[in-house]
Parts: sequence; structure tokens; C-alpha cells
Amino acid sequence: MDSIDLTKLEATARGRYERSRLRWSLAGAAPMLLVIAAATWLGRQPSSSAFFGGLLFVTGVVLLWRGRDIRRAFWPGVLAGLLPLVLSLAANAGHGCAMGHCSTWCIPACSAGGVGAGLFVAATATKLKLGWDFWVGASLMSVLTGAMGCACVGASGVLALVVGFALGLSPQLVFKLSR
Amino acid sequence: MSEPSELDPLLKRLAQGDRDAFTPVFQALWEPTRVLCARLLGDGADASDAAQSALLNILQRANEYDWRRPALPWAMGIATWECRTHLKRTSRRRESTDAPPESDGGAAVEEQEQRLLINSALEAMKTLSAADQQTLVETYWETASQVSGATLRKRRERALTRLRDAFRRLYGFD
Repeated sequence: MDSIDLTKLEATARGRYERSRLRWSLAGAAPMLLVIAAATWLGRQPSSSAFFGGLLFVTGVVLLWRGRDIRRAFWPGVLAGLLPLVLSLAANAGHGCAMGHCSTWCIPACSAGGVGAGLFVAATATKLKLGWDFWVGASLMSVLTGAMGCACVGASGVLALVVGFALGLSPQLVFKLSR
Repeated sequence: MSEPSELDPLLKRLAQGDRDAFTPVFQALWEPTRVLCARLLGDGADASDAAQSALLNILQRANEYDWRRPALPWAMGIATWECRTHLKRTSRRRESTDAPPESDGGAAVEEQEQRLLINSALEAMKTLSAADQQTLVETYWETASQVSGATLRKRRERALTRLRDAFRRLYGFD
């Protein structure tokens, strides 16, 4: 048994461990496909929703595969992102008119949803005392989830979401940075 | 080699995706896995092959490790299973390549499995106290004991329960 090349065995074991983690991550992120399908089906811009949905799924798999704190960002990020997503999908149903000019409620819904999502991510990270990995991971997941619905009016909807999210995140973020 | 108590947090970290724990876990598990397979299959190429596949399987399944349970019995349970599978596979291969004129109806495999289980039970027995070991040996060989009646029955029951617990702790199953 002394002739066993342990370095080679360790490399093989590491490869198997990584492949197994990847399979496990794909299975873990699979429920997201339902959210993505629903957003694409209900969204105004199916191609944009599918694009952001694809990015969301890949990001989710990477977070779960990497593990540690960033793995824990997956569901809180998605939950936070559901707020702007649902608000923007609901906003698609109606529009507001003033001074002879009409527009959808998409941008206000995305901004408000973004603020709510940012507050949720910041509160969760602070409550659970999680590090920067979590902040970054949850923010990515949240913005990408929301972006599936906020693409309703193109880039401006997504921009409104990002700005709103940053506003929601900033109080806790500033507090964390100042400590 | 890390002690079992050191292995628990290491395997927990690995299950959570901490790659820094990979090499320490690999190093901590190699020796117990190799020793277990050697005891179950005897020293030789078979035991070596089984130990390697067992370790690969343990690390492949590291994500499934439930960190509320002790790590070593969990890992050794997988290794024991791998040794049994290896034994069956080897026996089947031998049967097909040797092509014996008359099949023994799988008696050889059963005999080897029986030996494997006895070896495992003996390993578990080593963890018991001298008094428990003596009670079990006397029970097995039906030799006269210093005590008799209800006292002997209770001692046997307690020793058997401890043996069962030790077996479960070591191999992860009854």
C-alpha cells in the first residue's frame, strides 16, 4: 500500500468533490427555474426576462457551488428580489396619465421595490452578522431577480431598480463601513 | 492523523464548501480508511483498491455530511459499504474468469461477507470494557460464568447493547 500515489489520489478526490458540488448546486438552484419561467411568461419583454433569468440561474449555481457565506446569500437574495419583480409585473397592468402624457408604473415600482430589497438584504446581513461575500452575493441575486420584471421599460427600469436598491442598502452599508 | 474530534469541524467546513479543509480532511481520513479496509479485506491489492475508492466516495459525498453527527463513523460507514461492494465485485469477477465447472451457489461470497461482518464485530468489541468482552466471549462459547441467573442475563443484555452501539458508532449502521 506504500506505493499509492496520495497526491494523485487527492487530486482525483478533489475533482470528484467539485463535480459533486456542482451537481448539488444545479439541483439547489433548479427551483429558480420556476420563478424565471413565471417572470418570462408574465413579463412584458420575455427576451430580457429570459436573459436576466439566465444570468440569475448561473449566478445562483456559482454561489451554491462556491459555498461558505456566499452560499447563504442565495435565498435571501432571491426573496428580496421578488419584491421588485412582483411590483414591476403588477405595474405592467396599469399606467398613469398626467398633463397629456401617459407612462407605466414600472419605473416607480422598480425604484420602490429596489429600496425594499436593499433594506431586506442589509437587515439580513446585519442580523446574521455575515461578511462581504454575503452582501455581494445577495445583492447580485436580488438585482437579477428584480431585473427580470424591471426590464419592462428597457434599461431605465433596471437602472431605477439598481438606484433604489443602492439607496435601500446604503444606511446599513455606511454603518458597517464606519465601524 | 487528526483525532476524530478534530475531524468533525473539518468535515463540516468541507461540507459547507471551505476548500481549505480539503487536504486536512483527506489526510485525516486516509489512515483510518486504509486500516479499516485492510482489516476487512486483509492486506493486499484488494484492500488498497477498496480503500482508495472508499476515500474517493467519502469525499465525493462530503456535501451530504450532517455535521450534527460524528464524522468518523459516518465516513467509516461509507468505507465499510465500499469494502463490501468491492468484495462482491471481486468475487463475481473471479467467478466469471475462473469459470468453475460447478457453481457453489454464491457460498464463497457469503462466507467472505460473513468473515467481513465477524471482523467488523470483533473491531467493535475491542472498544468495550474487559468485563463486557468477557461476558460476550463466555456467552458465545457457552462457557461457565462466575455469575448466573438474572445477573448473568442482565450483564449479557448490557454487553450486547453496548456492542450494538459501538458497531453503529464505528460503521454507521446496525
